[in-house]
Amino acid sequence: MDNRNLEKALEIFSCLVKGEEISAGKKETASLYEEYIDNPEVYDIVMTMCRKMNLSLYEYNDTLYISPGKGNRVFGYSNEELKKEIGIRLNRELYLCYFVMFGVITRFYSDTSSETFTEYVRSEDIIAAVDSMLASTLKEINLMSLDEVEENSFQAISGLWEELPLVVNEDAVSVKASKGSKAGYVKLVFNFMEKQELLLQNDGRYYPTGRLKALIENYFDENKGELYNLVKGAVKDAAYQQNQGE
Amino acid sequence: MSGEYVLKRDIIYDHNERMLNIRKYYPYFKLSEMSFRQYKEGQFENLDMGYILMAVLRFFIEKNNFNEELVTYDEYEKFMSDIMIRDFEVKEEEKKCKELIRFIFDKINNDGRPFVYEYFNPVEKKRQSMRVKLIDAKIIDGIIYYSITSDAVEFYLDTKEVRDESNITIEQVLLGKLISSKNFKGGTRVVRRINSEVGRLLAKKNEVLAVLSHDVFQGVKVYEEFNNTVVKWFDDEQKLFSQNKELIEQALKKAESESRYYSAMQDIYMLESELNKAITRHGRLLSECTDLQIKADELIAKAKLTSLRISFDFRDYFRRLKDLDRADMIENIIVPMLNLNVPKKFDIINIDDMLLYRTEGEEKVEKIKDEQLKEYVYEDEIEDKRIEHNYGIFLGVLLDMMMKKERFTLSEVEEELRKRIGYKFEKNADWYSFLVHLCQKKEYEINALSEHPDTFLEEKIKNYCKEVQKYQGLKFYIESTTEVINRPDIASISDIIFVVGNGDTDG
Repeated sequence: MDNRNLEKALEIFSCLVKGEEISAGKKETASLYEEYIDNPEVYDIVMTMCRKMNLSLYEYNDTLYISPGKGNRVFGYSNEELKKEIGIRLNRELYLCYFVMFGVITRFYSDTSSETFTEYVRSEDIIAAVDSMLASTLKEINLMSLDEVEENSFQAISGLWEELPLVVNEDAVSVKASKGSKAGYVKLVFNFMEKQELLLQNDGRYYPTGRLKALIENYFDENKGELYNLVKGAVKDAAYQQNQGE
Repeated sequence: MSGEYVLKRDIIYDHNERMLNIRKYYPYFKLSEMSFRQYKEGQFENLDMGYILMAVLRFFIEKNNFNEELVTYDEYEKFMSDIMIRDFEVKEEEKKCKELIRFIFDKINNDGRPFVYEYFNPVEKKRQSMRVKLIDAKIIDGIIYYSITSDAVEFYLDTKEVRDESNITIEQVLLGKLISSKNFKGGTRVVRRINSEVGRLLAKKNEVLAVLSHDVFQGVKVYEEFNNTVVKWFDDEQKLFSQNKELIEQALKKAESESRYYSAMQDIYMLESELNKAITRHGRLLSECTDLQIKADELIAKAKLTSLRISFDFRDYFRRLKDLDRADMIENIIVPMLNLNVPKKFDIINIDDMLLYRTEGEEKVEKIKDEQLKEYVYEDEIEDKRIEHNYGIFLGVLLDMMMKKERFTLSEVEEELRKRIGYKFEKNADWYSFLVHLCQKKEYEINALSEHPDTFLEEKIKNYCKEVQKYQGLKFYIESTTEVINRPDIASISDIIFVVGNGDTDG
């Protein structure tokens, strides 16, 4: 192995781990990007390092993006860390935030190969989307008895969402991120997604970044099998628990 | 018959193309229908969306096409504030005015979605839809910039300027005529229009690429249309450019030689510099189109590959999670999209926990026990003690047998051991080390070794016999045999004979 290539690969990897963007369009990182694309040995070393550390690396529009994937204990976030980052304390609040983020993603993409041609989203769009996505669950809640619900159920997050007022004060323009209203929750999520470089804000409009597009168009297709296996595993667990109960 | 065919062709087969041309007008009429009567209780009822739209488009053309600059939201906002005050005499406070400008921007952008124009396609006998956008956004170095789309430029120019398949060609023919008639100022205006047209085509090229990357089928259609209306005219356009350049050069020469042209020198220079700019931009358009061709081929090839692959459907996945009622599993989608969590910090919540930790009502007194320091025993001392204990057992059995019998074998000793302590001695390593030490000498005399022990075992025998006096004066010999004691899975050892007394051995 050529020492120079190893050094370059380590430089690329270290930049990525530090959260720096490696792009052909950036003067500081253009040479590293070229090394990654044109030098097969550098490419192999970088990919091997990523694979061994359970990281996924994607190239999109002449820029490299890294993902910790699912269940990465070293580079991923724990539930507690995520709650702290977003600014919430309870698990069901976290699941509601996941739901809102899912609402944002599906406004831009219905599946990984079809963009919806939506250029940006605003708080009110997402509130409406979450309202409509949870509508059927809310209906079920109204018909249900007052059984205790699991905190990780859709009923729990529907209940939490339903209890929230739309806004705390009437001035919709200056909505602050908070757990006190639907608009506040959406703002919490927007702030978090902006911090995670998935959205970029301009005067209340949130645009998808290259990172969001790169990961959506690559990660999920590549890990489709594993994602569906997780659902299958959960189905089996549920069936087992039901049998145990009987 | 042929008349009927022409009629049918015009109605059915040309309909699609006509609709394609009409679609660029659709956003204007949709927006101009909009009334401000519902907005803020009709406070801004006098605003006219049609006029505002045309003004905004002109502003974007000025910035994007003439000045080659992208527009930021702040620039748009400033331009709109001027319009509001100058043309509609809006005298509201700044905050309200900004809100109104944002509202208009969202309307022009159709809330971030393209305007969808639906029509009936008589060839395929089904309803189809076309998308039209007026303003595009792109992120450069973390800042959002806006630009006018080619559809919007085309629409704007169509409202006054005449359009054809290649504006550049027509304008150049006109330019040639203007130069010939020595209207250099008019020529400069024409070249500026050419520049604007080149800018529009550059924008159009980017849009074709965007459509190709979103929807390859739609993209191929747009790409072909772009090729037919733009690329095929390149040769003609370049020829005309060089012809016009020649005309200008001739005009310059004439101006230098003939004094009556001298006053037009400034205009000719300006025209020449504008034309040079146009030629450079046209060259750039040509190279961008070549680039488009390469990228289009790549995208089509990629689309062929991905069409065989089933994509991940977010809604289907969500439906499955909903059936399971597991909202927490949405994390499977969200977590992989997050950045790496590199900084590991001490969680401040832990400080909360520490502060909230309930302390005892009163401090308990810690009792201090007065403990004596015990003597420390090393591991080898423990081993020595064990060996001495085990050797004592073996010696006890062996010497007891010697007190009773004058001659016996090792097998008999083992038999006696089995009776006294069971089979466990067979697995005791000390037994084998005892035998090894024992066989180092053939003759043992208790009295003699008690005074001068030569070996490790003699030292142990001495210690043992000090405690048990009955063995004093005992003397024994060891004789070898050919017999072997087999002990499966452990070891095989040679049998030996113990002889008590004078030692009449055979060596």
